[in-house]
Amino acid sequence: MTLDFASQADYLLALLPEIVLSLWAMLVLMVDVFQKGNRVEASRPVVAWLSLAGLVVTAAANGWLLTIEEAAVTGMVAVDSFRVFVNFIVLIAAALAILISIGYLDRRGINRGEFYALLLFATVGMMLLGAARDLILLFLALELMSVALYVLVGFDRRDPRSSEGALKYFLLGSFSSGFLLYGIALVFGSARSTNLSAIVPLLPSLQESPMFLIGAGLLLVGLAFKVAVMPFHVWTPDAYDGAPTPVTALMATGVKAAAFAAFIRVFAVGFAGIYNEWSVVLSWLALLTMFGANLIALTQGSVKRMLAYSSIAHAGYLLVAVLAANAYGAAAFLFYLLVYTLMTAGAFGIVIANSRGANELNKLDDYAGFGWREPLLGAVFSIFLLSLAGFPLTGGFIGKLYILRSSLEAGNVELAVSLVLASVISYFYYLRVVVVMYMRPAPAEEANRTVLLTGPGQLAMSVSAVAVLALFFVPGWVLDVAQRSVASLFTVPGTFFGLGP
Amino acid sequence: MDFYRSHWVLTFLVFAPLIGAVVALVLPAARARWVALWTGVIELLVATPLFWTFEPVGAAMQNEVALPWIPNWGIYYRLGLDGISLFMVLLTALLLPLMVLGSWTYIKDRERVFYAMLLALTTGVMGVFVALDMFLFYVFWEMMLIPMYFLIGVWGGKDRIYAAVKFFLYTAAGSLLMLVGILYLFSRYQALTGESSFAYGDFLSLPLTSGEQAWLFAAFAIAFAIKVPVFPLHTWLPAAHVQAPTAGSVILAGVLLKMGTYGFLRFALPLFPGAASADTTVLLFMVLGLIGIIYTAMVAAVQPNAKRLVAYTSVAHLGFAVLGIFALNVQGIQGALILMIAHGVSTPMLFFLLGMLYERTHSYEIEDFGGLAASIPIFALMLVFAALASIGLPGTGGFVSEFLVLIGTFRVQPWIAFIAASGVIFAAFYMLPMVQRTVFNSLTRPANRAIPDLCGREIALLVPLVAIILWLGIYPRPILERMEPSVGRLIERVETSRFVSTPGEAVVASSASSSDEGIRE
Amino acid sequence: MLRSYLPLLILLGISAAQAVGMVVVSQVLSPTKWTWVKASPYESGIDPLGSTRERFSVKFYVVAILFIVFDVETVFLIPWAVVMREVGVAGFVAAAMFIFILTVGLIYEWRKGALEWD
Repeated sequence: MTLDFASQADYLLALLPEIVLSLWAMLVLMVDVFQKGNRVEASRPVVAWLSLAGLVVTAAANGWLLTIEEAAVTGMVAVDSFRVFVNFIVLIAAALAILISIGYLDRRGINRGEFYALLLFATVGMMLLGAARDLILLFLALELMSVALYVLVGFDRRDPRSSEGALKYFLLGSFSSGFLLYGIALVFGSARSTNLSAIVPLLPSLQESPMFLIGAGLLLVGLAFKVAVMPFHVWTPDAYDGAPTPVTALMATGVKAAAFAAFIRVFAVGFAGIYNEWSVVLSWLALLTMFGANLIALTQGSVKRMLAYSSIAHAGYLLVAVLAANAYGAAAFLFYLLVYTLMTAGAFGIVIANSRGANELNKLDDYAGFGWREPLLGAVFSIFLLSLAGFPLTGGFIGKLYILRSSLEAGNVELAVSLVLASVISYFYYLRVVVVMYMRPAPAEEANRTVLLTGPGQLAMSVSAVAVLALFFVPGWVLDVAQRSVASLFTVPGTFFGLGP
Repeated sequence: MDFYRSHWVLTFLVFAPLIGAVVALVLPAARARWVALWTGVIELLVATPLFWTFEPVGAAMQNEVALPWIPNWGIYYRLGLDGISLFMVLLTALLLPLMVLGSWTYIKDRERVFYAMLLALTTGVMGVFVALDMFLFYVFWEMMLIPMYFLIGVWGGKDRIYAAVKFFLYTAAGSLLMLVGILYLFSRYQALTGESSFAYGDFLSLPLTSGEQAWLFAAFAIAFAIKVPVFPLHTWLPAAHVQAPTAGSVILAGVLLKMGTYGFLRFALPLFPGAASADTTVLLFMVLGLIGIIYTAMVAAVQPNAKRLVAYTSVAHLGFAVLGIFALNVQGIQGALILMIAHGVSTPMLFFLLGMLYERTHSYEIEDFGGLAASIPIFALMLVFAALASIGLPGTGGFVSEFLVLIGTFRVQPWIAFIAASGVIFAAFYMLPMVQRTVFNSLTRPANRAIPDLCGREIALLVPLVAIILWLGIYPRPILERMEPSVGRLIERVETSRFVSTPGEAVVASSASSSDEGIRE
Repeated sequence: MLRSYLPLLILLGISAAQAVGMVVVSQVLSPTKWTWVKASPYESGIDPLGSTRERFSVKFYVVAILFIVFDVETVFLIPWAVVMREVGVAGFVAAAMFIFILTVGLIYEWRKGALEWD
């Protein structure tokens, strides 16, 4: 089927996965309010499973997108395999977040159906973000995602840390939205369009326009806030630390994936014509992020905060892929994002497993003896940590290799070497957790502590770990798909990186 | 004998320990050591015939295979064996069952995981020696870190965590730069031919400018030098050796260090012959090797801890190997190879003996012993033999190897050879007092009077080592002739390209020139 | 292009000057005499009770939010109603979707008890 977007109805088809998920989120909300007697009662488990079912149906609709194509790459909504790939990553992130929140919410006394509905709405926002080929849609998607997330971060409103995180996230998030919107306004003012495919042919003439360059710069700042690139990361540790852990997992994976997809669409593809201008800024940001975040992560005593900084560091690695600005870079980006989503969500799942009661135990020392007490989860956590460090035998290694390769291909040797040096720093703190898990004896009272991750969560962790390993041993298929998924991305007229994979 | 003509023998040797590891994990803890022992014995039995089936004619790789693994990137499962790797494979296979025997009563807790780690480690080491795909090589190279890290960190001594982390970070940091080097070769190959490949053979044919060679050689050499370890990068080794359990020390001294020298011979020299044979490089490494020999000998002499002393002797011995390698002639490199084998049996023997002593007395401090010859004579005999083998007494492998290295070095740098020769005397200077204060002198500690002598199992594991040391010392010819063709080809390659590469010679594709400048900065 | 905005800028300038000017002029010209009665919160003479920093019940906020939502609904729907014939079926579908989402929200609020004061 071919869509030409001349009729409005075509947009409904192009947005099918998002529409399905939105309706499903409303359904979840309705089911939740109708199935319980009063408003303080906890939600039934069916709500969580219903939400998961919604993600599965959306995934099917998303797969169906592959069968349709667009007549011209000018629509607001991109219908290409890049979007489909990003959508799948976002859906996986959401599914993992839901799976690890089963049981967790009850324990914290925040099992409300709104949690799942908001999570689904945020997912819709992320999916739209990966599809936006128009700056206005980009902004709308970003807000849809962010507003749902502001609430989710502060979902445990009795916990001051959760509220603090939500407040910081909200204030800085709105601030960055302001930057983004102002950037869009300036770009519109100089290019007289917010549609990227309309801007691309104008780039040669806009290159000199200060208004356009300032607009692009503000756009960059706005997006950098959302993906938590240093120095725009200040909200991240508090928001990640305070948010309920499944939300943290979603923010570290799905949100990052979607915002980075927008980064690729706007900068690597749309603004490829002014690569020389933005690449300088972004290179410095990438360097700062890789080294800064890894160094700060070294000093963290809390595992959850350490993982927060680790996710910032990974934003730096992903920037290196964006900076390659070629088809290799985009494919490396997709592959890495997939691995990253699995391993990061998995690591946060283990943080849940190792908490005690309603308290979240995140100090490094709380992991003493964890590996021997819980052989399966300990092994799984080790796999995630090694993968985050980019160690061979894990998908993280192939992903990092792919980024390095794309970076060398683009001639960014310095960035590649910096990435490697930054990884060396990261080895230290990932390894430290493994040290504590296996090499420090557990305190006596720890001996009969139960694991607070329910069956579905444990299963999800194990499957993720196997997937991380599989992405090392048999990555061929995924590499293929990633390469094919970006082929359509770089066919935008006027792009001078027409490099095919 | 089809098995020995195909790659299956290598595949078996690489993966049999991994299967053993899984079995050991699944079965009850009491069975773990038996599983490990059987795996080791089978490994050794399968590996031994390689010595005869290996054909000492021609320098081509034998038992080669190339099966697609990640075809999109040109990554293949490539294995092969030549005269350089053959003996490393045999050494690894020999040490595996011995290590299991050495840990038989030493390891008492978490046996399943211990033996699984030991077996997995063997897989990694074996893979390093036979991999002919750079990607595969790198994977094995890094893979072996994890089990070793756990062996030290979980079953090690008091400061085990420090030692384990230091070991891991040193090695991993070095090898990551090598990874960038490998990727650079990969992208150059792709720019040149349009095809993706990680094959060692393909990289050999890559024309590189001398600037590129210098940088890439540096990236590879640092990774290997940390592993050897070459003098200023050696500090992780004593820590790891002292803290590791006996089996860990044995495999560390026996084969892990050889991975560094092997890396020089297999990769750093043939891939970047211009940079490796440059006068500065040769002189630098020779001087570092020399410092390693003299300095660590002096440090070893004042160690109160017997295990730490032996650890330092490793650095000194490997210093000889570095000298031999960078002599870049047949005698030097053959000497280095024999030294790798000789050191790979004599030092593990010392570690085994110290481990046995530790099991009986719970101490490595030389102070705590004295006069052990009276209470445990067989042990004393073995220790004296191992110490003499380590010093390099004529009739042992150590003598042959150091002699060859010194001849090789003398031909290029007589002065260095002259100074290095004094290192042999230094070896006596640190090793003999240790032996004297341990097994001779008078028996001052009453507790040492009642300890039991070596049991049958312990003698059984030491005898093969004694036999090999003597064989190497008395009749090394069969070994030398198996190495000859491979060493010859290596030297030929280095010699021919010594004067060929001139700056800016081989810039091929315009797309690569930008990355070219990048790496020269 | 920017020139066409010039009248707008002039208008903006004049209105700003006028607004500021009126305040300034009244400040300058008016006689000011301070008395206790004038300074009290309610000049009618009632003394205020308790602190002015008082917490409002959350119910007020809920009602306020509900009001805003339906207020915005009006803002969207009235223009649509005006041009309903011109925008045709597509417009109708869009408005229907909008109303559907609002209805779901309303049902949610009703079930949650946001519409009950107690």
